[in-house]
Amino acid sequence: MVKAYLPKTLEECLKMLNDFDLKVVAGGTDVLIQNRAPSQLPIGYKKDVCYILQIDELRKIYEDDQYLYIGSAVSLEEIMDSMIVPEILRKTILEMASPAIRHTATLAGNIANASPAGDSLVTLYLLDAEVEIRSMHHLRRMKVSDFITGVRRIELAKDELISKIIIPKFEFDQAYFKKVGPRLSDAISKVAFAGAYKLEGKKIMDFRVSFGAVNVTVVRELEIEKKIVSNTVKDIKKMQETIVSWYEKVINPIDDQRSNKAYRKVVALNLLREFIENLNL
Amino acid sequence: MAKINFKLNEEFVEIDTDLNRRLLDVLRDDFSLTGVKEGCGEGECGACAILLNHQIVNSCSTPLANVIGKEVMTIEGFSKTKRYTAIKEAFAEAGGVQCGFCTPGMIIATESLLNKNPHPTDFEIKIGLSGNLCRCTGYNLIVEAVKLAIKRGEGLW
Amino acid sequence: MKDISQSINKVDNDEKISGKAKYVADIKMEGMLHALTLRATISKGEIIEIIYPEMPKGYFVVDYKDIPGKNIVKIIYDDMPIFTTGKITYLYEPIALLVGPDKYVVNELLKRVKVTYKEEKPIFDWVDSVIHYEFKKGEGFNPKKNDLIIEKTYETSYQEQLYIETQGMIGYMEEAEKITLVGSIQCPYYVKNALIQALDVEDKLVRVIQATVGGAFGGKEEFPSLIACQLAVAVKKIKKPIRLIYEREEDILSTTKRHPSKTTLKALVRNDKIISLAVKVGLDGGANIGLSGVVLSRALIASSGAYTIDNLDVRGDVFRTNTVPNGAFRGFGAPQMMFAIEMFIDHVAIEIGKDSFMFRMKHLAKQGDYTSTMGLYRDPILLNDMINKAMEVSDYKNKRKLYEQKDSYKGIGMSVFFHGCGFTGSGEKNHIKARVKLKKQGDVVEVLIAAVDMGQGVKTSFRKLVAHILDIEIERVIFNNPDTDYVPDSGPTVASRTMMIVGGIVARCAKEMKERFSEENFIVEKVYEQPSYIEFDEATFTGDAYPAYSWGVNIVEVEVDPFTYQVKLNKTWSVYDVGKAIDERMVFSQADGGLAQGLAYGYLEVMNHKDGKIMQKNMTDYIIPTAMDMPPMETYLFDNPYAYGPYGAKGVGELSLVGGAPAVAKAIEQAIKRQVYKIPVTPEYIMELVNYGKD
Repeated sequence: MVKAYLPKTLEECLKMLNDFDLKVVAGGTDVLIQNRAPSQLPIGYKKDVCYILQIDELRKIYEDDQYLYIGSAVSLEEIMDSMIVPEILRKTILEMASPAIRHTATLAGNIANASPAGDSLVTLYLLDAEVEIRSMHHLRRMKVSDFITGVRRIELAKDELISKIIIPKFEFDQAYFKKVGPRLSDAISKVAFAGAYKLEGKKIMDFRVSFGAVNVTVVRELEIEKKIVSNTVKDIKKMQETIVSWYEKVINPIDDQRSNKAYRKVVALNLLREFIENLNL
Repeated sequence: MAKINFKLNEEFVEIDTDLNRRLLDVLRDDFSLTGVKEGCGEGECGACAILLNHQIVNSCSTPLANVIGKEVMTIEGFSKTKRYTAIKEAFAEAGGVQCGFCTPGMIIATESLLNKNPHPTDFEIKIGLSGNLCRCTGYNLIVEAVKLAIKRGEGLW
Repeated sequence: MKDISQSINKVDNDEKISGKAKYVADIKMEGMLHALTLRATISKGEIIEIIYPEMPKGYFVVDYKDIPGKNIVKIIYDDMPIFTTGKITYLYEPIALLVGPDKYVVNELLKRVKVTYKEEKPIFDWVDSVIHYEFKKGEGFNPKKNDLIIEKTYETSYQEQLYIETQGMIGYMEEAEKITLVGSIQCPYYVKNALIQALDVEDKLVRVIQATVGGAFGGKEEFPSLIACQLAVAVKKIKKPIRLIYEREEDILSTTKRHPSKTTLKALVRNDKIISLAVKVGLDGGANIGLSGVVLSRALIASSGAYTIDNLDVRGDVFRTNTVPNGAFRGFGAPQMMFAIEMFIDHVAIEIGKDSFMFRMKHLAKQGDYTSTMGLYRDPILLNDMINKAMEVSDYKNKRKLYEQKDSYKGIGMSVFFHGCGFTGSGEKNHIKARVKLKKQGDVVEVLIAAVDMGQGVKTSFRKLVAHILDIEIERVIFNNPDTDYVPDSGPTVASRTMMIVGGIVARCAKEMKERFSEENFIVEKVYEQPSYIEFDEATFTGDAYPAYSWGVNIVEVEVDPFTYQVKLNKTWSVYDVGKAIDERMVFSQADGGLAQGLAYGYLEVMNHKDGKIMQKNMTDYIIPTAMDMPPMETYLFDNPYAYGPYGAKGVGELSLVGGAPAVAKAIEQAIKRQVYKIPVTPEYIMELVNYGKD
């Protein structure tokens, strides 16, 4: 039978992760389905489990001058309801899943799941979000975009735990997330898009764009953004097709049971065009 | 196996079982609360929805471990409340029940919504119900039922 | 006395809302065993060897060798085995049941079974025609020298019923030798008759009881007979209660769905009118034909839609392929055809430069016209008024003009359609021979019929019907879930026949009971009496295919996102003639639900197979509408009482599904300024059309 560990504190948790080979489970909304067993049977986990929702230290949302800190056991709904969370992230969460799932699912779980179609990831990449990772022996931080290395692949050692998500504070003039799913709620995205910018006078000083479900991980290209920044809005709009051609090279969607690559590519680039057309409007 | 406690339908209960079982199965098989249904087992249909600390969750995607020390309410428990009576009468009058399989979940969704937001817009009602699938009604009469429950249940939420 | 249409609260609301209603999976029995199904993992071939792990005491394998009777599930075309004897014809075909007390152990045993196959090349192309029907009306299709011929082809895909409660049954032995099944079913007697054949026993040794049904839509019409036979064979062998409930993925992957179709329509146009129509229909029957022949019949009869075309040449085939067998789903062949004919009639109008609306109106069926099979539309057809009403409440004409503008990305579309009520042709008279009982016991009257309430409200409408006729309170009328030990065979709960046909007989019983009401205890029993005018030759498709027709108009308004090609439904307006509503709110309920399914069939629900495997195998991937997707729906009813239906009622259940797809497809056509030839009209297809399609 699969063992279940329920550490009461973060310290206890890290010790368990150090001593045993455990699967960390927060809300469980993804993990339970991935390890599905027939009805009435216990969840088909492939190794012993460590549950973390009950750890108080992981349930805090707070901020300082530079960053917003979200504990890894905070539910999506709590994040969505919190006024200190950037609006774009709150709006992204509203488009995810359903109220029932949002009440127990966590951002950390979404990150650890590292699905190419993860909606929150698109916005987290856009916001330069980081994860704080702890083990019994150390604490480290890394950008989510470095933490996720492929389809369901993350840079997390066996004894490590995502303890916080850290989001740098930044004021945008506009930031939005657009989800293209097969229906208006409770669906896995076919394509997702997030865009944000900051103006100084007529010039764009910060320009960010990220795409979901069009490659093995979220697509965000800092090199392309560097080429766009410092231009005027007018010039950027003139460059629209050039910018589209740059992104076209890094958008590489697949055919699957939900959609096809032609559609995903065209729509992703259409959303980019729409974003550029609407700059400073 | 472990002995754990939680509140179930307003009563403190203790159970000694595998914590890696789905809450859905514990409710249906151990506590005979068959008002909680299994429609998909993957958190999509909402037929298994219950209230966990007054918030809707899908019991098919909730490990028993995650309810320790918390309050679980199923349709059976909720049906003893005044709020339930208002919702029940509204659903009956609006014609929002056909095969009934999604219905307990819809009632739970309604309570979870109104408990947090007593005066939702039509759009907010639809968001509140967005995780509960119905194949029989096309949803409009269910939305009408929720609106009627709000009207009739003035002061309850 | 009150008008019967006036709505009342449904009698089973309380038990359903409170969670007290017992569906199959809620039933617990002492000593119940669990069954899981061993399924084939190839699409076509032969089993060379099966190695089962050693079965602990109390655990069993049940397969074809355990079948006492015929190894065939009784469903019209007898080609579905209860358990395969070795030949595999579709992926996930059932091989055996593994049964035992601990479900965990049964599952572990199942995982360890080793099956070796000799694989063969599966056939997915539509080449093996197993059923072919054809008929002509008038002069058939005979073009003359200057006639214009316009030909188009339309395609529809799978649709999965996706009842929220999966298939399931419990079987047990009550008394020595008597087997009882409790199931989520639409047709207790279909199941009973299948069991009699499978077990080779007398009638009285089999009992079938309906549990509360969590949605069916045709998916529980014939398919449950397969599970029933498997379970009964297992119960007979093991002599303990056994429970078999399908998992959702298992249900989607292995149970019957709506037949994918391909329809070619050829119009002979002379003097701006369609003089003749040639129809060629292909249906994918899957690996077993089952009742696909009846689906084809209904489709062919519906092929000229709500229009009167004097000359027809209609032919169709059911093709056998190595895919999951297809079967009944609300509409039963009509949704496929209504999509084809409704799109076609507009496409023809466009091609000859005529206004689509006027062109359609020119061909609309009228009372006194001959039907597609040379029957007669004896009763009034109110389509003109219904269309006018629909257009008025939706402001159709103005919006149609407004949305014509390039780049409006908005559209409004209308479909006009009908549904034949009841079984095709002489099915009622020759095959079903429905029988009904009404029992008075003291103060209380019990309705004894085999009709199943699967959400559509049979329990309420029948109690209401009887109470109304007898002029007593509805509380004094009882209707329990059908149990074949107590109810006669009033036929299956299908084909929109329940109120019209079975209700008709029940009404006659009630009228007689009223005359004798002073008697304390007695039973009135009656059988179906076919109106003498109904004559149908099944071989030549000639005569009155249906005793009555229900009619409908759907108008749908949509908006298409120019960047993502997604469709948003803004609103719908529907007008239906179902004769007379036995309960208005229940008819509106049905109408909403049917339209939701019809719309989603047209724009949302995607299901296809790849190499014989269904690609959308769970609720995450098979997309049906949520509360956020469905628009407000306005529905209007036109009374048009049918002489032989109780209070004039005709068929209701399926009508509201058959028009949704063409209505939404047409609205999308206007929004994107392109012609649509297949459903579902997904954003992916819209993108293709916008870039490469025809205006």
